[in-house]
Order: sequence, then C-alpha cells, then structure tokens
Amino acid sequence: MKRLLVFLLSSLMAVVLLTGCGSDQATNGAGEAKDIAAIKDHGVLKVGVKVDVPKFGFKDPQTNKIDGLEIDIARAVAQKIFGDPSKIEVQGVTAKTRGPLLDNGEIDLVIATFTITEERKQSYNFSEPYFVDGVRMMVKKNAGIQSIKDLNGKKIGVAQSATTRKVIQDETDKAGVKVEFLEFGTYPEIKTALDAGRVNVFSVDGAILAGYLDDSTVILDDKFATQQYGIASKKSNTALAKLVDETIAEMKKSGELDKLIKKWGIR
Amino acid sequence: MPGPFAAFKWAALGRDWTVFAGGFAHTILVSFLALVLALLLGIIFGVLASSKQKGFRTISRIYVEIIQNTPLVIQVFFLYHALPHLGILLPTFTVGVLGVGVYHGAYMSEAVRAGVEAIPRGQLEAAYSQGFKFWSAMRYIILPQAKRLAVPTMTNQAVSLIKNTSVLAMIAGGELMYHADSWASNSLYYGPAYIVTGILYLVICMPLALYARRLEEQMEVQA
Amino acid sequence: MIRMIGVHKHFGANHVLKDINLTVKAGEKLVVIGPSGSGKSTLIRCMNLLETPSAGQIIVGGVDITAPKAPVEKVREGLAMVFQQFNLYPHKTVLENLTLAPTIIKKVPKREAEKTGMEFLARVGLVDKANAYPAQLSGGQQQRVAIARALNMKPEIMLFDEPTSALDPEMIQEVLDVMVDLAKGGITMVVVTHEMGFARQVADRVIFMDGGQIIEQGNPEHFFVNPEHARTKSFLGKILRASNT
Repeated sequence: MKRLLVFLLSSLMAVVLLTGCGSDQATNGAGEAKDIAAIKDHGVLKVGVKVDVPKFGFKDPQTNKIDGLEIDIARAVAQKIFGDPSKIEVQGVTAKTRGPLLDNGEIDLVIATFTITEERKQSYNFSEPYFVDGVRMMVKKNAGIQSIKDLNGKKIGVAQSATTRKVIQDETDKAGVKVEFLEFGTYPEIKTALDAGRVNVFSVDGAILAGYLDDSTVILDDKFATQQYGIASKKSNTALAKLVDETIAEMKKSGELDKLIKKWGIR
Repeated sequence: MPGPFAAFKWAALGRDWTVFAGGFAHTILVSFLALVLALLLGIIFGVLASSKQKGFRTISRIYVEIIQNTPLVIQVFFLYHALPHLGILLPTFTVGVLGVGVYHGAYMSEAVRAGVEAIPRGQLEAAYSQGFKFWSAMRYIILPQAKRLAVPTMTNQAVSLIKNTSVLAMIAGGELMYHADSWASNSLYYGPAYIVTGILYLVICMPLALYARRLEEQMEVQA
Repeated sequence: MIRMIGVHKHFGANHVLKDINLTVKAGEKLVVIGPSGSGKSTLIRCMNLLETPSAGQIIVGGVDITAPKAPVEKVREGLAMVFQQFNLYPHKTVLENLTLAPTIIKKVPKREAEKTGMEFLARVGLVDKANAYPAQLSGGQQQRVAIARALNMKPEIMLFDEPTSALDPEMIQEVLDVMVDLAKGGITMVVVTHEMGFARQVADRVIFMDGGQIIEQGNPEHFFVNPEHARTKSFLGKILRASNT
C-alpha cells in the first residue's frame, strides 16, 4: 500500500517535471517566427471564443453558428496572418477551459471576454484591451435590491475564473455589507440559479449581463472596476502576441474596432 | 518558463492550502452522510426488490431504473435548479447529500438484491416458521448472510460515491472539486490544483478500493 | 388444536389441495403419507401459513390464521417446523441457532435460552457441537440440531416436512430415534414422511393423500394391515416392496 503510493507519487512528479520543461519554444531566427509559421502550416487560426455571451461570442441555437464581436476580431487577426479573414476555426471555451486549451496548443488565441490582470499576465501574453467594461449586477425585479447597500446576507452568483468576485468583494467590504459567493461554470447556470432563487444577484461584466436581461430581471446602476478585455496567447508565442497587439492597435486607429462595437449594438 | 506546472504556481498553492483542506473536509463530510443514506436506501430497496409482493418489487424497480438510467448531473441539477420552482429550496449541502446518496442507493440496492436473492428460500421460511416478521427475518437471518456477497460491490460503490461528490462542483457545492475549480480558474494555476486534488481523492478512495479487493479475494477463498 | 375446513390450494393452474377437512387433536401424533405431488407437503405448510390457502379456513389453537390481520407470527411461535433441507442458519453456531428466535421473538433472557438450548442439544446427543457451525456437521447431525432448535421455542405443535428425505440412508435412523423419543411426550406432532416403520411405531393416526385429497385415514394397525382404498394398497405395495429390497 505504502510502496504503491510512493510509486504513484514519484511517477506523477516525473510527468510534472517533463511537461514543465518541455514547453520551450523559440523563434527560428530566419525571417518568420516559429509560432506564426506553425499557424500558417496549419492553414487556419484556431481561436477560443465564448458561446454563451450574446453579442460577444454566442452560438445561435437555431443555426448553430457562432458569431459576435470577438469572432469578428478573430477574423481581423486571420486577415493579418493569411490575408484571408475566413481562415479561422472557432471553438467554444469556458472560463475553466481557456487556460489549458492555450497551454496544450489546441487553440492559438483566446478572445473570450478575458479580463487582463497582473496575475494572469504571468501565465499568458495579453494584447492591449479591445473593450473596456465594468462589473454590474442583475437582480430579480421583485427582490427589493436597489444598490450594493441592500446586499447584506445575500448570495452572489459569479462565474468561475471571472474577476468579478474580487471586485464585488472589495466593493461590499467598502459598503460594509456581508455577502456569500457561489461560483458556476457557465453564465446560463448562474441565470438558472438566479431564477431558482439559489442566488440573489448575478454579477459579471455589464456587456455580458445585458445578454441575459429579461422581463423578470433588472440590472442595477452600480458599476465597478473597469475590466479590460484582451486577447490571450501562450506565453512562449511571443511573435504571435506581437502581431495580435499590432492588429488591435491598427483597428483602433482606423476606427474599425468602434465600427464593430457599434455593429453589434454593444452599449 | 511558465508552463502549467511552473514552480511559482506550486508555491501559490502552498500558500492557499487551507482552501484545499477546507474543500477536502467538506468532501469527506458529504461523502460520509451520502454513504449512510445510500446504505439505508440500498438495504430498503434491495430487500423490497426481492420481496414476494409485486407492488414493492415494482416500486424498487422504478427507483433503480430511473436513477441508474439518468445522469447524476441531471439529478443534481433537478434538485438544485428545478425544485425551487416548485417551492422547495433545499440547501446546497442537502442537495449534495441527497443527490449523491440517492444515486448510489440505487446501485447499492442492486448489490443488496443480488445478495438477498442468493440466499436459499428455505432460510426465510425457517425464520417465518419461528415467528420472525419479514424485516426482522431480514435483519437477523437474511442480510447477515447476504452481506458476504454484497459488501465487496458496495465498497466499490462507496469509492464511486466519493469520486462522484465532485459533480457538486457544478452547483457551487463547496467541496474539494469546487474549491479546486474555483482556485484553479481564478489563478489559472490549474496544473498544481488538479494534481493535488487528484491525490486527495486518491488518498481516501484507494484504501477503500484495496479493502474491497481483499474482501473479494476472501470470498473467492471461502467459496 | 389444528382444524382445516374446506381448504383449497392452487398453484397457477395446478389444483394442489382439494377441499381438505382435517382436525388434529392436542397431543395427537399424525403421520401423512402419499406419493410425491400428492399435496402432503403443501398440506403441512398450510398449517403454519408458509403457503396461503386459496380458499378455506385454518384454525390453530383457536385462532383463525386465515382471517385478515390474523396474528400469524404469534401462532407460529407455538408451531415449530422441521424442514427437509434442515434450513439451519449457516452464519450462526449450533447454540446460536437454538437461541436466536427465543431471545428475539419470545424475549427469553439469553442465559435462560442457552441453558434450555444445551438441554435440548443433550437430548439430541449433540452437546459437543454447541459451538460448531452447521457446515461442519453431517446431514443427520444438522437435522437433529434443527429439531433441537424447534424444541427450544417450547412449541405445542411440531410439524415435520419429510425430515429424513434429504439424508444419506445411514443417517436416517439417528434422526428417527430422536423423533421417536420426542413422540413419547405430550407434544402434538404432524409428520410428512415415507418412513413406514416410524409411522407404525409412533402414529396415532395415518393419513394417505393422493391427487390433493385425503384418500384414506385410520390408526396404523388398520391402515397398514387392511387398507380399504385401491390407491392406498397400490402405494403401500410399492413402498414396502422398495424398502424390503
């Protein structure tokens, strides 16, 4: 029993060490960076997007097509790499899966309402922000909640991996109210929990929240901590990160980004 | 080079070890209570399934078929998200114990039924002829004999039960998997998080699994 | 003591007991014989309601056990049964087999149940096996333990359902000896058996069954020497010829 455990642990450590060291990658010096070349070899840019955030990245259940601002941005990056905006392959990611998928190379980029933080920058490259939003709160109309001051003893539903929790925690601390957080894997689950009365508040970035507004709910006026969405890539793919950053900068300069935001009716 | 298993990520986990310890304790508590419930349901429905009365057999069959042929996730979602719309708002902890306990109760009941049905009919008749009622005959005469056959299967079910409490992460269950998910997705240090979580599950499940194996071997020797 | 009035039993399409009317008096030793499939086992199993009659009434010690909500378990306490397959509890020692029901059902103190248990084990000659498990005993020994187990309930009636049929020939006598000894007391006994010698020796009355009916009955003298019915004669002829060879 004891020996078996030792064996298991040591083989685990071996795996850990191997994978930990094996992810080095560098440019090949001659002209094009290795990471960009790899994408070109593959013939398509693989992008992780949200499928449950209307207007940003949303899979229409009728047509099964994924569309939104973030998909359009992915097309612009593909245009930059291939000269062809159609060369993208989008894949639904959640807050939980986007990190691992980047690391194991299944996707090249994450454009999925991914908030830039200092902590996250340690693990991934982030582009300059393409959208700035704030954390807001949705409640049931009949809940009698007007502002953050009414939240004492309430349960706040947030998404795993979202920065919302920390923001709301800071704000409620400031307002002197005590709340409890429940984390869920996807936004529809939080909305379901709100409808079921499992949570009193559904809190996430305002633009995302707007997609879940219905007759029985209302979004409070409070708006906290600006959140900047950036495009993430694997830490070792430095050339790709640079290219993405340039793309966003150009889109901002040319006004194309604003046009896209307007096109999707965001804000 | 910040791979998924970079040293600073392990260090961060070390600082936050209380998160995992708390989740681990919660998992053990939920598992224990769910196990007690599963055993109770398993014995009651397993015995009913081998009863002479068709009505009882049918009830037991319905329970087992519904539970075994729908995913645990759906059952837990039903308790968590759907029941409140019917005016029943069970606390998350209760949902966890109930969901996992009822689910594995169905499997336990099949193990108990197999054990009871392996006991010759004459045993129950002997008990009846001495004045035992049905449930006391089960308790003193049938179940102690059925145990030998049922316990290895039931122990394996206990292992599954512990692992399946991880489903509660999806309803913010507060157990080990939930905290692992939460911590991993906030910090994005999922590598160390899931390895440590896996080891913690291993630590409680493996002794039980080995115990089940030993019981099975003993049974083969005796048979 | 036991009265069966117009008892019928069906197993599906099989009509196993047909209008049985029978009275067993207190202290009587009744032996039931008949070919296999004649319904004799079903008859005795109806007496303690291991089989529920399809129609008719069974009254044991003044209690109609076929009535709805009858205190069947209570009646069974005084109506012990010995089975063809012994049906000892294999997970209990011999002594525990004897004390289980008295302590749990009749709430006899454990010490008391063990004391009387040892006395009955002495009576069947198995004191030295008190702590053995049934699987360690021969068939004959197991059946003697089963008789001691029945006796330790202090029953007024004992039912024997072919108690020697599952035994190797050399073990039959040791069980019959115990039963003969038992028959000397005042206990009521109903015995389904093929042992004609035993029937002659202890029976107050012998019943011959065939096709679900009681064909003939009488005291053993009359019964074995002068059977009236043709089917009885034929059955006895076969049995006696078989046991003579």
